[in-house]
Amino acid sequence: MRTPVYSALAGGLVSLAVSGAAAAKPAGMPQLDFHSFAPQLVWLAIAFVALYLVMTKLAVPAISDTLAKRQAKIQSDLDAAEKANEDTRALVAAYEKRLADAREESRGLQRQQGEADSAVATARLAELGEKLNGRIAEAEKRIAGQRDTVMAGLEQMAGEIAQNVYAKLAGQPADGAALGAKVASAVKGTSR
Amino acid sequence: MHSPMEQFEIKRLLHLNFGGFDASFTNSSLWMVITVVLATGVFVMGMRQRALVPGRLQSVAELGYEFIAGMVRDNVGDQGKKYFPFIFTLFIFILFCNVLGMVPYSFTPTSHIVVTFAMALVVFIGVTVIGFARHGLHFFSFFVPKGVPAVLVPLLVLIEVISYFIRPVSLSVRLFANMLAGHTMLKVFGGFVVAMGLIGGWAPLAFIVALTGLELLIAFLQAYVFAILTCLYLNDAIHLHH
Repeated sequence: MRTPVYSALAGGLVSLAVSGAAAAKPAGMPQLDFHSFAPQLVWLAIAFVALYLVMTKLAVPAISDTLAKRQAKIQSDLDAAEKANEDTRALVAAYEKRLADAREESRGLQRQQGEADSAVATARLAELGEKLNGRIAEAEKRIAGQRDTVMAGLEQMAGEIAQNVYAKLAGQPADGAALGAKVASAVKGTSR
Repeated sequence: MHSPMEQFEIKRLLHLNFGGFDASFTNSSLWMVITVVLATGVFVMGMRQRALVPGRLQSVAELGYEFIAGMVRDNVGDQGKKYFPFIFTLFIFILFCNVLGMVPYSFTPTSHIVVTFAMALVVFIGVTVIGFARHGLHFFSFFVPKGVPAVLVPLLVLIEVISYFIRPVSLSVRLFANMLAGHTMLKVFGGFVVAMGLIGGWAPLAFIVALTGLELLIAFLQAYVFAILTCLYLNDAIHLHH
């Protein structure tokens, strides 16, 4: 394809012309000017190989490196987020477990405390009841004693009154012992 | 008035002659070099920071990379990774040549059949060599369609062989013709604007504006088509099926 250029013709024609305007205009399409093929192909090869080297040595490794690095970064970030999420979930679960445990424990303690409290109260109540019973018994005893004393005093007083009244009515002293027994039985009868 | 074809003329800017071999630096060479410089600017300078959160230019570079990487992955598969740098370079080279050709007073290297045919031929020969290297003589089975009556096989093999050898021609003519037609049309309608003057020139001017948008699309599309057809040919050579 690289048609050899007739060097004499080409050199002669184009050595003066810089813009190329002086070159003889071929009739029809410039694409079919065979003399232009060689320089086009040479420079196509130079430009294409240069671009290929730039791409393979510089651009493609730079871009693929960057893309891989970005992919790795995104993946590691996603992994970290996933891990953080799992950690949080584990923490929440642990927290909830502790909360439930604490609640259970407090309920147990409350129950225990309640039982202990009621036992203490019962004991105290029993103690108090006993004490009160003791007091009541004591008070009853004291009342009975006082009544006896009072009744004894009453018998004696009634006996004396009866003797005095008998002495006044009968004009003679009464038989103390018989009267005393009668008075005593009468007093006892009223006191019932 | 200049001829619409004048814009395609090769102008020698610097005469280089090595023993009768003309390697002159032409306007075509200049725009190829500009293509290489600008592509290097986008893809090397743009990636200089290698930022995890890309800036504007880096986004463009990464977008181009991922576009072609996805194309190679989808059309060739994992075995295509080796050839990704070549297809990427091919796409970027054609894309920049096409798009820079839309700049007024510039030159479009891809509007010359010799350039596009050279690229297509490199693809064609490269793909064929890869096919033979991978499959040996078994590569010829590519030309024999499966499940057809024995009578038809010779005819179909002939058709397959012809269509295989037509590939570099269709690949190169498609790109060259699109560039040629677009630029010629722009030039022709540009001539109408001048000819019809201030009164009537507005209609072709509006058409040129619309056509410029279309041509930008085609500049991208033809680079895309060239790259994706290269992928498909490569896939045929590697996997031996249609």
